[in-house]
Amino acid sequence: MSTTTSAPHRKTVAAPRAGFGSALGFELRKLRSQMRTKAVLVGALIAPIPIALAIHSQGNPPKDTLFGRYATTNGFSLALLILGYAGQWVLPLLTAIVAGDIFASEDHHGTWKTILTRSVSRSSFFAAKAVTAMGFAVAVLVVLAASTTVFSVLIGGQSPLIGLTGQLIPVHEAWRLVSASWLSTIPPTIAFTGVAVLLSVWSRNVAVGVATPVVIGMVMQLIGSMGGAETLRPYLPTTAYEAWHGFLAAPAFAGPFITGLITSAVWTALTLGISWTILRRRDITGG
Amino acid sequence: MTSALAVDAEGITKTFGAVRAVDGISIRVAQGEVYGVLGPNGAGKTTFLRMLFGLIRPDAGRLKVFDRTWAHDGTAVLTGVAGFIEAPRFYPYLTGRQNLESLARLDGGVRRGLIEEVLHTVDLTDRADRKVGGYSYGMRQRLGVAASLLREPRLLVLDEPANGLDPAGIRDMRALVKRLADSGLTVLLSSHNMEEVEEICDNVTIMKKGSVAFHGSIADLRAMAPDPGHLLDTVDNARALTLARAHDGVSVTDDETGALIVSGRTQVVAAYVTDVVAAGIQLRQFTPTETPLEALFFMLTDTGTEPGQEASI
Repeated sequence: MSTTTSAPHRKTVAAPRAGFGSALGFELRKLRSQMRTKAVLVGALIAPIPIALAIHSQGNPPKDTLFGRYATTNGFSLALLILGYAGQWVLPLLTAIVAGDIFASEDHHGTWKTILTRSVSRSSFFAAKAVTAMGFAVAVLVVLAASTTVFSVLIGGQSPLIGLTGQLIPVHEAWRLVSASWLSTIPPTIAFTGVAVLLSVWSRNVAVGVATPVVIGMVMQLIGSMGGAETLRPYLPTTAYEAWHGFLAAPAFAGPFITGLITSAVWTALTLGISWTILRRRDITGG
Repeated sequence: MTSALAVDAEGITKTFGAVRAVDGISIRVAQGEVYGVLGPNGAGKTTFLRMLFGLIRPDAGRLKVFDRTWAHDGTAVLTGVAGFIEAPRFYPYLTGRQNLESLARLDGGVRRGLIEEVLHTVDLTDRADRKVGGYSYGMRQRLGVAASLLREPRLLVLDEPANGLDPAGIRDMRALVKRLADSGLTVLLSSHNMEEVEEICDNVTIMKKGSVAFHGSIADLRAMAPDPGHLLDTVDNARALTLARAHDGVSVTDDETGALIVSGRTQVVAAYVTDVVAAGIQLRQFTPTETPLEALFFMLTDTGTEPGQEASI
């Protein structure tokens, strides 16, 4: 260092334009650079194959599970059976892997002081991190949905689907309904992203941010299945993971999906609002 | 360049729970000045710098940076300002260059070639494509300086830049800071090392337990400095101690190692040591225990200041 030349030439410049866009680009670059991110995406792409194969090869199909009866003979049933399982804990976990880490990792690496002493405000960082977490959650969900549906049909076969009310759903309609069912889980997944973001901001701990949303999801499902909790059930994001059932009845009904949409929006707004309040007021004394 | 002060802090106070970390301090740094904030660990230096960067909100007081305030101007306060607080931290899974590129994005981009330029300035060009997770402490410190220079600042704020470095690293870091200061940059340097501040800074604020214990120029500080203490070790320390009784103005005490600590004005100490030698007591060691400025620093920060010595800002 002592042998190098003088400091870079300085000039007085106007404040550079850096805001949400800059912060979003920064977050996306970090996300792309992390092995974990790639592993989750590759896992979402590949994991459905052995799962579908394992279920399909069972001698006795899981008859007491929704769409389990025909899971070994019908690819669409197989995709919906996997969706039922995924909604229990897989989707909350997949979203929490990034959302639960994205704020707490700045504490873990001690980098809040590095990024907040540049030209981007806390509000821009908050928005960029929240959008990155939600975007990643949706991306993983879409990859998982596409992979599961395609490989389930390839493994289980493409034949008309028997709906929840016993109606026969033609193949082209089954493709549409199975896809819609998977996509209907986007709102609750975003709500769980909000929960994970809140835990990440509040706890400043990566493990808490990643693991706790899964536990919360399981507790919500437990509450939802308990007698006497019927009034509470529609307002839990876990219930929204079951909203697709209405798509596969005859006549189809969208009430649970709309309720789930509103519930998820409220959960997302509340969790992100609280998260922002905590971050905005926080004194960055460490890191 | 306007004539606004680079830093104009007045009556800044910050309390964490029951602890008053910063207690009504005032600091003014003129443009082009190399200013030291000195104090032992826990004096409130870092808390003050964090408030300057907007990482912590003061409970009371007024803080302007180039005439801008956080309340009025938001992150525009940091226009022309760069630096690091405590040890600079980066993303370990990115290379040094990727970290700089990412941070440049947060500044709205930098001019072409600047990243190479700052890497060269801190002598990290050859190691820029290694992941930061494998960097040594000194390399991360230098990357911190590079990240600061990316902003082409008018005010560079460095918090203990030589902390944790080996002697060669300390030498290099000081040389770098001096070179930056010589180029006309305003530098606000926090340190607990008097020698570092004395070597680099024009003016200094010494903090103690969140308050200002001294403010003034290095020349003022030198004028106030007491005579240094000396470590004296002889073949017969007991006799040397007895001889001290005949010398007014010399204080001799036992050191925990068995040697003696001699303090007093230089001439009086010299006369005493001459007598020790003349008495046939062979010297093993006679070395200063601390520089005069270090002695003053310890006096100001450990045992408080005389009312007449304390200067308000």
